[in-house]
Amino acid sequence: MDESERDLSPTAQPDSYEAAVERLEEIIDRLDSGQAGLRETLDLCKEGRELVKYCAAELDEVGEGLKELRLDDLATKLEVGSPESP
Amino acid sequence: MEEQLTAVEAGPRYPGPFEVGVYARKIQAEMRKRAKVQLIGEVTGVGRSKVQAYFELRDSDGAVPCAIWLNDLEKCGIGDQLRDGVEVVASGGLDYYPGGGQASPKFSFRATHVRLAGEGDLIARLEALRKQLRAEGLFELQKQLHRPRLPKAIGVVTAETGAARRDLLAGLQRRGWGGSVIWGFAPVQDRHAAPAIGRAVQDLAARPEVEAIVVTRGGGSLADLWAFCDETLCRTVAMLRVPVVSAVGHERDRTLIDDVAAVACSTPTHAAEAAVPLDCLAARESLERCAISLRRAGEGAIGTRSRHLSALARGPARALQRERGSLNQKIREIRAAAERGLADRVASQTRKGTVVLERARNRAVGADMEKRQAALRRALVALRAHEPERTLERGYALVEREDGEPLASAAEVSAEERISLRFSDGRVRARPEPDGAA
Repeated sequence: MDESERDLSPTAQPDSYEAAVERLEEIIDRLDSGQAGLRETLDLCKEGRELVKYCAAELDEVGEGLKELRLDDLATKLEVGSPESP
Repeated sequence: MEEQLTAVEAGPRYPGPFEVGVYARKIQAEMRKRAKVQLIGEVTGVGRSKVQAYFELRDSDGAVPCAIWLNDLEKCGIGDQLRDGVEVVASGGLDYYPGGGQASPKFSFRATHVRLAGEGDLIARLEALRKQLRAEGLFELQKQLHRPRLPKAIGVVTAETGAARRDLLAGLQRRGWGGSVIWGFAPVQDRHAAPAIGRAVQDLAARPEVEAIVVTRGGGSLADLWAFCDETLCRTVAMLRVPVVSAVGHERDRTLIDDVAAVACSTPTHAAEAAVPLDCLAARESLERCAISLRRAGEGAIGTRSRHLSALARGPARALQRERGSLNQKIREIRAAAERGLADRVASQTRKGTVVLERARNRAVGADMEKRQAALRRALVALRAHEPERTLERGYALVEREDGEPLASAAEVSAEERISLRFSDGRVRARPEPDGAA
């Protein structure tokens, strides 16, 4: 737990998948340019790994098979559940 | 006796009062003077009596009650096609039925001819609406919304049965997307369609998990697709804060909802791609490549630098060796150069020394010459004073052996058998005799 918190601490959680991929592309471009020093390279690799992990989790969320719901059913559930809700 | 009315009771002093039946017929006459026109709208509330058919022509802005004699209707040739939901063009003019003692009066548009609205009529109406909504800026609102590339849930408004639903699902699955689809089923053709579609998109947009909404149906005539040109529906869609992807009809059909939506697609399959822009299968492969690139970059950065450091660590020894070799070479060169230089210098110094000595000798000779000559003369005088010839000139004689060797003692003379006496003017031979015999 502590380990994962420490891993995430250097980089903020991306706002969205798009933002994560955009940053990831920037990182790969920077690494490919060969301009980054050792410290920067290691930091970028670490940040990149976190972003890959985030993107993979996002893809996993929509990777378990399509779920179909009916708006009418959801509305009914809402109506049934509403008296109990605070 | 005539009853007197007060001013209040009498009311405004307008002309009259007229008999209402007369007035009603006057209205009828005035109405019938109005110009004959054509009206276009959707038919609702169709009813028939023995002699005429009743219906309302309606659009989103208003409605007009209409009536047509059955014999006129039969002449039009549309017969049973005059039913709720169809778009028609009714030709005629205003009329007023004055009623009677038992019958109620009724205002209506007396149609003398009714035809189903043609493509041209609908296109003209559509263009007018399009112009109006565009002028109000309603085409731009949806296009300014952010569309997530990877939504977790999308809403779909379509008919429960139909190819559009199947095609959309197939499109989503082809992209490897397995999120949630919330179906908002609604009729997609008739006058009930537009309000139902409007309610469905609003309900879907109200759900926080829904990140995009697809509105779709298959192809048909413009009349079939007319619900998607409904002004109220299109205004509703334009104002939604969730992006709407429309895919209504085929590519050549351009309904009003296509104009106000964030994205207009030609088919449900394309709508699936627009609602979930990210191809999840391709994205996974791309992500794998990114992960590999990152791993290589990390390992490479350390490996390259490690090799570089190793090379640097070996560097000083190599550099020393190089320097040592270089120094040795220089030493050899210097030694060779020194030897050459020394020889040259010796030769040069020798030449220089000779010249210096010569000059010194010359200087010395020149300075002492007279002194030396004077001393020489004095020595010569002294030497001449000691010459035997000088002594002989004063009368002395020099005793010598016959070979000319001087004899300096009596013993040496006694030992000789013959001697020579040299005088200044010549020699005389003699024979010594012992001292006792004389």
